[in-house]
Amino acid sequence: MTIPLAHYLILSGILFSIGLAGVLIRRNILVVFMCLEMMLSAANISLVAFSRAQGTAGIPVYDAQVLSLFIVAIAAAEVSIGLALIVAMFRARRTVDSTSLNSLKD
Amino acid sequence: MLIWLILIPVIAAALIGLLRTPGRLTAITAAAVMLVLGVGAILCSILCPECSKACLSTVCGTKIQFTLGLPFSKIMVLLALLVTLAATIGMKAPNKDAERSWSISSLLLSAGAIGAFMSDNIIAFYGFHELALIPTFIMIGCYGRGDRRSIAWTATVYLGLASMVLLAGLLLLCTQMNAWTFTALKTSVASGMPSTPCLIAGLLIVGFGTLVSLFPFHTWAAPAYASAPAPIAMLHAGVLKKFGLYGLFTLAEAFGSRCGELFGSWNNLLLLLLLGNILWVGYVTVSQTRLDDMLGNSSVMHMGYIFLAFAAVIADKGNNILAYQGAAVLMLAHGLTIAMLFLLTGQIESQTRTLELDSMGGLARKLPLLGFLFGLAGMASIGLPLLANFAGEYTIFVSCFANWKTGATAATAGCDVLTCCINWLNALPWGIGCVFTWMFNGISSGLSAIASVFGGLGAVQLTLVFALWGLVISAIYMLRAFRNIFESEIGHTSERATKLSCADIISAGFLALFIVLFGIAPQLLKPLMNLI
Amino acid sequence: MIQNLPWLFLVLPLLVAAIDWVIFHKCPKTAATLSILSALGTFALCIAYLTGWQTGTADIYTWMPTGSAATSLHLGLTMDELAMRMMLVVTGIGLLVHIFSIGYMKGDNSNLSRYFAGLSIFMFSMSTIVLADNLAMTFIGWEMVGFSSYLLIGHWFHKASAADAAKKAFITNRVGDFGFLLGILLTLGVFGTLTFDKMGTAAAGVAPCLLTVTVICLFCGAIGKSAQFPLHVWLPDAMEGPTPVSALIHAATMVAAGVYMMVRLQISMGTEVFTETARMVIATVGAITAVMAAIIATQQDDIKRVLAYSTLSQLGYMVMAVGLLAGEAAMFHLYTHAWFKALLFLGAGAVIVCCHHEQDIWKMGGLARRMPVTVLCFLMGTFALIAVPGFSGFFSKEAILDAAVVKHPTFFWIGVGVAVLTTFYMTRLCLVAFFGPARAHGAAEAREASPSMLLPLLALAVMAIISGYGFVADYLVPAKGFHAHGFHFGFTFYVSLGALVLGLLAAVVIYGFGKRSADPLSNNFISTALRKRLYIDAIYDKGLVGGLQQCGAHIIEFIDSALIRGLLVQGSAWLVRCIGVLLSRIQCGSLRAYSCVAGLGLLIIIVLIAL
Repeated sequence: MTIPLAHYLILSGILFSIGLAGVLIRRNILVVFMCLEMMLSAANISLVAFSRAQGTAGIPVYDAQVLSLFIVAIAAAEVSIGLALIVAMFRARRTVDSTSLNSLKD
Repeated sequence: MLIWLILIPVIAAALIGLLRTPGRLTAITAAAVMLVLGVGAILCSILCPECSKACLSTVCGTKIQFTLGLPFSKIMVLLALLVTLAATIGMKAPNKDAERSWSISSLLLSAGAIGAFMSDNIIAFYGFHELALIPTFIMIGCYGRGDRRSIAWTATVYLGLASMVLLAGLLLLCTQMNAWTFTALKTSVASGMPSTPCLIAGLLIVGFGTLVSLFPFHTWAAPAYASAPAPIAMLHAGVLKKFGLYGLFTLAEAFGSRCGELFGSWNNLLLLLLLGNILWVGYVTVSQTRLDDMLGNSSVMHMGYIFLAFAAVIADKGNNILAYQGAAVLMLAHGLTIAMLFLLTGQIESQTRTLELDSMGGLARKLPLLGFLFGLAGMASIGLPLLANFAGEYTIFVSCFANWKTGATAATAGCDVLTCCINWLNALPWGIGCVFTWMFNGISSGLSAIASVFGGLGAVQLTLVFALWGLVISAIYMLRAFRNIFESEIGHTSERATKLSCADIISAGFLALFIVLFGIAPQLLKPLMNLI
Repeated sequence: MIQNLPWLFLVLPLLVAAIDWVIFHKCPKTAATLSILSALGTFALCIAYLTGWQTGTADIYTWMPTGSAATSLHLGLTMDELAMRMMLVVTGIGLLVHIFSIGYMKGDNSNLSRYFAGLSIFMFSMSTIVLADNLAMTFIGWEMVGFSSYLLIGHWFHKASAADAAKKAFITNRVGDFGFLLGILLTLGVFGTLTFDKMGTAAAGVAPCLLTVTVICLFCGAIGKSAQFPLHVWLPDAMEGPTPVSALIHAATMVAAGVYMMVRLQISMGTEVFTETARMVIATVGAITAVMAAIIATQQDDIKRVLAYSTLSQLGYMVMAVGLLAGEAAMFHLYTHAWFKALLFLGAGAVIVCCHHEQDIWKMGGLARRMPVTVLCFLMGTFALIAVPGFSGFFSKEAILDAAVVKHPTFFWIGVGVAVLTTFYMTRLCLVAFFGPARAHGAAEAREASPSMLLPLLALAVMAIISGYGFVADYLVPAKGFHAHGFHFGFTFYVSLGALVLGLLAAVVIYGFGKRSADPLSNNFISTALRKRLYIDAIYDKGLVGGLQQCGAHIIEFIDSALIRGLLVQGSAWLVRCIGVLLSRIQCGSLRAYSCVAGLGLLIIIVLIAL
């Protein structure tokens, strides 16, 4: 028995919404960052799901899977830079609260 | 070869900036080499006009042709070279760093101006001018007098907007004519005119006009010149500002006898605006109390006369060689004169440490040579014969009347308005009656004669009548300034004056030499204009 | 027969001026010698041409070529009798004034090189006017004499009054030049040329109104340069300059240039161009100037001011003659006036120097005994000016009055009235300054002037006496084929003799022979008005310059800075800034707000796609 596409998409949607909500609600920039990763994962899930669903005779369309591999690789790079920035920011400002990071506004 | 006229200043600027070579010395050397090279190129292109075609250069595959074959190219390049040398020699920077940046800016400004005057490609012509504007803004912002930041921003925004309008006009013109160089434009005029001439001409007049401080768009100019360091003010007011007029005249010449179709619909408005330059700004100049403000405004005022020449060209459908010549001579002369005046203003300020006209006096007793040089430049700027400006101004005045014929236009009617009064007065006793008769007859027929003559004058001639009053205005402010600074009792500020340095004298004397030379023999400039 | 020799008239003084100024500005003696040599050279050249030893004309110098001959601007020389004889007056008086200057300026600590360079520039400019063969060249000379006059009036520029007077002279002349230049341009339109020789033919078919306006505009130049009525204010102030300068520029030559120019135009354009109205305007302006200046002169105390107003009045005479189409009489009077007025000014200069720079006639007195030669020369000049029969001024004044009585009797009576006043104020001047006891220390110590001053005085005195007689005048008066005035004992003679006697008697009765120490006519409102120059200068200063021009300039400056620079430019900048402030509210700097907006945007896109 195969799980229908809709289930994957619903899961992806739930994950994305949780991620978005986290980005919107949380003030801790580290958590915001994790939520961003969650949104990327949601996108990856839907990509892989589409890859399977579009395939014929059990062979998936590899384009989407390649794309999701790209996303994983780029996300890894992004995480390393992002975490480094957050660490540097914490060292400089002693806080990771996103609402207090508004010195560019003035 | 012509490309070196642009590369030398750029290389020299790079040397000063990167290798920290002495600023003024490098700049003077570069300016002198440029002058020799430039005069050589100009002579070469006069002696064999065919060579000027060989002088085209191509940079990096894109066709940016440089030529001295355009009508005013030679004369404007000569002006730029002369003023650059004088500006670099006469530079008086407050310290070494300032001297470096002043030198770099002067060289870049000069490179941009020369590039614009030599470009055949219309977009390169525009681009070089933009390039030259940047050092002006930076120099005013960093080293200006007074409220320098506000002045620099005003000028930047003003000129930035003007350049945008101008670019729109130029692009429209080039796309509609499908010609991107002045030479190509000239050949394609025969096959057709742009489809929206009125819009294009409007954009060009507003764009170029703002760059030359045409009347309602003039308020950036005087504060900027007053504020800028002397070499920048010299190069901008003397050379770079002529870019707008140069552009208008070159386009008018390219359109030949069809320039009336392009600009004609704006001519009457232009006449009104240039009267604003001459009379309105003239009286603004009269009420200035600082020398630098006064000179800045006077430079704006004199632009009106060159616009008058442009209007005369348009009104006569391009068939007015005298107007082209007058404009060219006046552009050169005004460039040299205003550069010399700004140079001397810098010297006066360094001697007296003030530019308030009321607090000075008697400086000519301490520094007679400075008084002589300033007097010469001042007299040149108010159009004294035997000095270059007169040749230009007078030629423009004559050009306005050159194609005006009387007879058919002047009405004969209306000389008997007060006949009744006269008959009655004739009845008075002998003698008294006669005088009254003559007087009333005179007044009435004088009035109606003036009316009929003015009715017979065209718009350009009528404008000239009012523009001539500018001669009186300019005499008023210049003589007043000279009297306040140099004559009368020695003021306390003049006591500080010590003596002029050799460089001061050489730089001003250099410009004075050419003002006198071109004043006595303006026909020397004739070969420098590629007109019929 | 050296080709192009006449250009030396212009080149020599100009070159000398430049050399004086640039090279010898530290050695006044060399500069003075050079200037005198150049004046002598041009004088000799002038004689060479007048005697016919040299002939021929000069090439034309193309000043501004345009390709076509019609519109090119040329400079050329006219060598006719009018020009060459005028040149003789200019160079002759110029030479004498140069020589006089050495004595006059001795001990003056200002820069003498500048002074002599100024004189040379003046000689150049005046020659340009006289020799010009077209109006453009006249205009060049016109501006240049204005400039040299500015230089020389302001020679002692450390005095505020001299600096102001120089400025006033230049600007007032510029006002006249405004009209003159307009007239030149109209002439170009009407005649199609500016060359004097070619003007005669083109005038047909032009509306008389236009001709009138053209002539009056050209006359504006003469109003400025010859200091006629509305623009006369600069000439009395110009007396701030050194006295030799006043003699040369502000009495003999430059101020007469207006008359010369008008006569030149009458000859080349033809008198029919001068319409009734134009003639009337010219004659009336001349008459007003003559009367007004003569009246003001009666109450002046400064010896140079009296002479200045007398110059104004005599110029008014000449202009009146021009307006009456008596150009020959005008030139005759110009010529005699040049000699005797130069004599009077130089005499006054000698008196001033010998009285230790005292110019008030009420602080002189008794000079006739202390410096008899100078005073005698001065009296010769006075006799010529008040037209004592037998002196030069008498003949030329008769010529003008004769013309007036034929052409227009009203102007004749005005002329006679002016003659009475002239006699009165000149007699007053001589009686007060030269007779009676010395009224001040300076006058008591006065001694005869030095030879370099006496020599020019004597030469001029001879000319003041003889220049009116036919055997001199026929060869020297600047007019074509001039014949001295056929003098006869007619109506004019008796009337002008009556005027002379009337003026003399009045002056002698009122002032006696220098016994009085103050003017009996002063201290009433008429005298005050006359001493204040009929308040014309005050009206100009306060009303036109101070009021109209300054207020106007300030109002315009205010509007310029308030409306254009303030409201339009700063206003639009303010508008942009306001919009910017509003828009910058959006950039609150809160990460969550931004992501919220981004999410909202995403939602909208999804909804749009779904729809």
